[in-house]
Amino acid sequence: MKYCGHCKVYIREDHDRCVLCENILEEFDGKTEEVFPEVPPFYESRLGIKIMMFISIVALVVSFGFNMIFPSEINWPILFMFAVISIWIGLIIIIQKRYHIPKKIVWQVFIVSVLAVFWDYKIGWRGWSLDYIIPIASVSAMIIMYVTAKIMNLSVSDYVTYILLDGVFGIIPIVFIVLDLVKVIYPSIISIGFSIISLSAIFIFRGEEIKAEITKRMHI
Amino acid sequence: MKAKDKKQKVEWKKLDNASKIFPATSNNKDTKVYRLAAELYSDVDPESLQKALDLTLRSFPMYRFVLRRGFFWYYFESSDIYPKVELESTSPCSPIYIRGGKNLLFRIFYYKKRISLEAFHALSDGVGAIWFLETLIFHYMKIVHKEELGEEIPSFEYGASISQKMADSFWKNYTPKIQSAHLKKEENKSAYKIRGKKLDENRMRVIEGALSVEALLKLSREYGANITVFLTALLLYSIYLDMPKNKNKKPIVLSVPINLRSYFNSSTARNFFTTMNVGYDFQSSSHEFKDIVGLVSKKFKEELTEENIQLKLAKYMKLENNPVARIAPLTIKDIFMKIGNRFNDKKISSSISNIGKIKTAKEFEDYIKQFSVCISARAPKLTFCSYGDRLVLSFTSPFVETDIQREFFQFLSKKGIEIEITSNI
Repeated sequence: MKYCGHCKVYIREDHDRCVLCENILEEFDGKTEEVFPEVPPFYESRLGIKIMMFISIVALVVSFGFNMIFPSEINWPILFMFAVISIWIGLIIIIQKRYHIPKKIVWQVFIVSVLAVFWDYKIGWRGWSLDYIIPIASVSAMIIMYVTAKIMNLSVSDYVTYILLDGVFGIIPIVFIVLDLVKVIYPSIISIGFSIISLSAIFIFRGEEIKAEITKRMHI
Repeated sequence: MKAKDKKQKVEWKKLDNASKIFPATSNNKDTKVYRLAAELYSDVDPESLQKALDLTLRSFPMYRFVLRRGFFWYYFESSDIYPKVELESTSPCSPIYIRGGKNLLFRIFYYKKRISLEAFHALSDGVGAIWFLETLIFHYMKIVHKEELGEEIPSFEYGASISQKMADSFWKNYTPKIQSAHLKKEENKSAYKIRGKKLDENRMRVIEGALSVEALLKLSREYGANITVFLTALLLYSIYLDMPKNKNKKPIVLSVPINLRSYFNSSTARNFFTTMNVGYDFQSSSHEFKDIVGLVSKKFKEELTEENIQLKLAKYMKLENNPVARIAPLTIKDIFMKIGNRFNDKKISSSISNIGKIKTAKEFEDYIKQFSVCISARAPKLTFCSYGDRLVLSFTSPFVETDIQREFFQFLSKKGIEIEITSNI
């Protein structure tokens, strides 16, 4: 141990100065201990994110500047800004939900669908978002989810709710067909059929688990 | 097929009343993690520790639960994760609960002669965790010192059934009929805020002072107080000595947790505590240490009546049972709990927590030097526990400055108490 003559306390570790008053310590019995490990500083550079952020800002400034110097009829810098924002939203969701793959997939379906409708609308509503993107996104999400669950050996309770959510989402194209919003109906029909079949499979074979999951997640 | 079925049967539990606040308010700056450590006289053997941990987990099934988000509330869910003991490599009280993560809410570290248990506060309070650590140490000692102990291996007193340990004692013990209107309104005045320069990477500075229980008890008695009252007064006084004198309009307020197990019939290993605020206004009251002890002592007596404790419990349960609060989605609840927590934080300057006496079988006393406890802090906080005659006072602080700690320990050393200091930075 060492001794601090100012604070009148013994110091167990091999320090030069007192942790309390910072005065120089005296030797006491020559024996010192190491009680806590030294923890090296933890560097988190996040360089990739920094570079992306910088590129986004440079690109936006350049596009706005260009548009002011050479004006055009379409306000394309605004569209470009929305594109950048879309990419960032997708990225943030991927990073935030990194612990929970099925949840991430459902979020991606949702984000992709909303962004697709938004973009379709912004560039003159040709209807491709409802025709193709939403049905294809929900069907592929369901397949991806089932495959990853099998590969990663997730327990049923981990993904059953998300397949359920995605299944319900995949039925939504019924509304598009009924309201005559779609020109190409094959993807929608595939999505609806696929969703109904998967949902019934889940309810028939995994009904107990779904019930248990719902009471657990929705307890008030 | 059978094993698969077993795996799929997932158990879940609601969070108890006190736990509910922790997941919503924990972050990298205040991780809501505490650490209990046992220091032995010889180096820790990781393999035996792992065996001891496996045995201990059998008596504490809650420690294999993970925390998850439901739509309305958080909940615990059983997992099949087997914890491994690790060589200590992080700063004390580093984050455990990560939102969306599926990991256990505790970890076991070893470093040289020290075994540390770090736990997220939603899992259990300090008293519950002591129980876990005592069981772990029991099994460890039995494995490591098998030969020396020979026939003398003591049998372990489990104390309670597994279901008692897993019980939500808040639900079991509150009396809904009591009108919380009787509860004295807490002062809404904001308290003095301790400021300082933050350590890098949100690290915690831990300074521990080990001293003799007997000597401290003797000193406390000279002021007509018990150890907790005396140390509470001393912490108030040390903060006052460090306080810029232009700030002394605000009172210094300490939050003191109360272990509810001593008021109700409960042997839960989960959370079962409430808190009280003990404040002192240095502008209008005496600056004599003796008078501070007197006032703190009076305040403890007023607050710690059975009736008052019942009222506090009823008040918190009423909040939990509020129908509007219950049907609000968790995302909204999180926001409100964060705001509420911030308001509450404004009313306190620091906190002091007595985890109590830690006991082991007599046969093990020759192998164990001391136990200590510390907790994540946004301002210097004091926690302490004792083992035999050795009491360890631990200050945890996010700040570079150590003035409050210095005033505190110098006061004791000037009264002739021998103190051994340990620190992590």
